[in-house]
Amino acid sequence: MRDDFPLPDTDWEPAREFWAGAARHELLIPRCDTCAAYCWYPRPTCRQCKGESFTWTPMSGRATLFSWTVVRHAFLKQFADEVPYATGLAALDEDPSVRLATRLVDCDLSALTFEQPLEVAYRDLAFPGIERTVTAPFFRPR
Amino acid sequence: MTSDWGFAHDLDDISGQVAIAGVGEADHTKASGRTAAEIAGQAVERALADAGLEPGDVDGIMHVPMLADRFDAAAFRDHFGTSHEMWESDRGGGMVWAGTAPYEAAQALRDGKATCIVNAFAVAWATQRGSMVGGPGQSHAQELAKQNLEVPFGWFPQPVYFATIARRHMHQYGTTQEQLGAVAVTLRRHANLTPAAVMRDRPLSLEQYLASPTIVDPFRKEDCCLISDGGGAYVMTSADRARDLRSQPIDVAGVGLGSSRTGTYWAQQGAFCSTPQAFAAPGGFAMAGISPADVDVLACYDPFTIHSIMQVEDMGFCQKGDGGPFAEAGSLAFDSGVLPYNTHGGLLSHAYVLGIAHVVEVVRQLRGECGDRQVPDAEIGVYGGYTGPQASTLVLRKG
Ligand SMILES: [Zn+2]
Repeated sequence: MRDDFPLPDTDWEPAREFWAGAARHELLIPRCDTCAAYCWYPRPTCRQCKGESFTWTPMSGRATLFSWTVVRHAFLKQFADEVPYATGLAALDEDPSVRLATRLVDCDLSALTFEQPLEVAYRDLAFPGIERTVTAPFFRPR
Repeated sequence: MTSDWGFAHDLDDISGQVAIAGVGEADHTKASGRTAAEIAGQAVERALADAGLEPGDVDGIMHVPMLADRFDAAAFRDHFGTSHEMWESDRGGGMVWAGTAPYEAAQALRDGKATCIVNAFAVAWATQRGSMVGGPGQSHAQELAKQNLEVPFGWFPQPVYFATIARRHMHQYGTTQEQLGAVAVTLRRHANLTPAAVMRDRPLSLEQYLASPTIVDPFRKEDCCLISDGGGAYVMTSADRARDLRSQPIDVAGVGLGSSRTGTYWAQQGAFCSTPQAFAAPGGFAMAGISPADVDVLACYDPFTIHSIMQVEDMGFCQKGDGGPFAEAGSLAFDSGVLPYNTHGGLLSHAYVLGIAHVVEVVRQLRGECGDRQVPDAEIGVYGGYTGPQASTLVLRKG
């Protein structure tokens, strides 16, 4: 495992643009140049049309809460200072079948609801003992 | 939800070609200090004794494709001190493969590659736990899309994925905590009747379940599988040869296999609250010429309570979404007369040996060897295997 696990490897080619966009506070998702379908997670060929060319496309950052959980036990020791935290899936307004795994912030953990409108909120991922931080798209109620 | 989120595999009809002639379980424990090979070897010894076979009679061995600790031909020869040639396949072991190994074995028997095949699986995860990243989540942490797009957000490991799925199931179908609890309590009761179960001496009431704190909403620790050292094995041969062996043979009547198109990326799975059993079970039942109503005993791979509810629905034992009320009505109890389910206690309360002991239990139920938890007159038993990306349905029939 990488020394800076559980930070993402921002040089991992398939998601490099995603993390580069997040650093600029832009939410980018690959869109098929052939059939215009959003393709998440990134993959070499489009699930819809087998196209192989994609453009990283800016999203509005608006989404709805598809599902979530409140994590009260740190399954990874690096999250010991974070619990309890809410993590779940944000379904993007542009295509709700695209679900981003994310953290839910600026909210009362007990007041989250299904299909709740969300907006992106950039936060730095930081873990104890790791100097590097990475800006990541979290979501908050809107 | 549209049905294009997965697909059924096209399998040849192997009904009646293979029988299970012997079964064995290793000792199931918390951390034991044993290696997986030692544990698997013990299970195989017991399966061979059950069948009345010697190690030298075994000319085929099946083991798991993905974990390091595989009981392969070299490990078999090491354990039993033999030097004989064996056909081997890594399309066996636990999880989904505990259900499909007989399909692979049928082909090997037909092609004359082997005449007597053992499928074995063991883990020493209770012993190894401290050195694994996220326990059984380790293989997920190593998958790069998950490592880079899920783990950093704390959407990891399995309890987190499946708590998210359980919450959506609750929202979509009205499933309640009490219904999840009914699964945990029923399986614990079964374990209390099973001498080999890790939780045999630990009763669980619904009140105790509800009083237990949630660790990842809506799951309490009682919703989650154990972490165990243990394993199991079963011996396969032709239906004809099995008739001449020591124990009552159990025939393989049908096998089905289904896959999700999104693999282990549950976040992107089209039918979020379903399992690939929706694709596996129809084929397995059709090969056996049965319908869900014909099943006398069912055992499904059940890492979390929600998996029992989802698979019972997806296999057609109740309507999609009705799994919660079905469990709450007591239908899964061994003595319910409805759908005796995981009668040994399952992964939640028997042992987390990844499904191999489920097959052993179904065989024993069909033979009538289950003592206080015996399902009366069980003729047809089913194992529902699961890995996440895939599910299998193995239909067994009293020979
Ligand atoms: Zn396309």
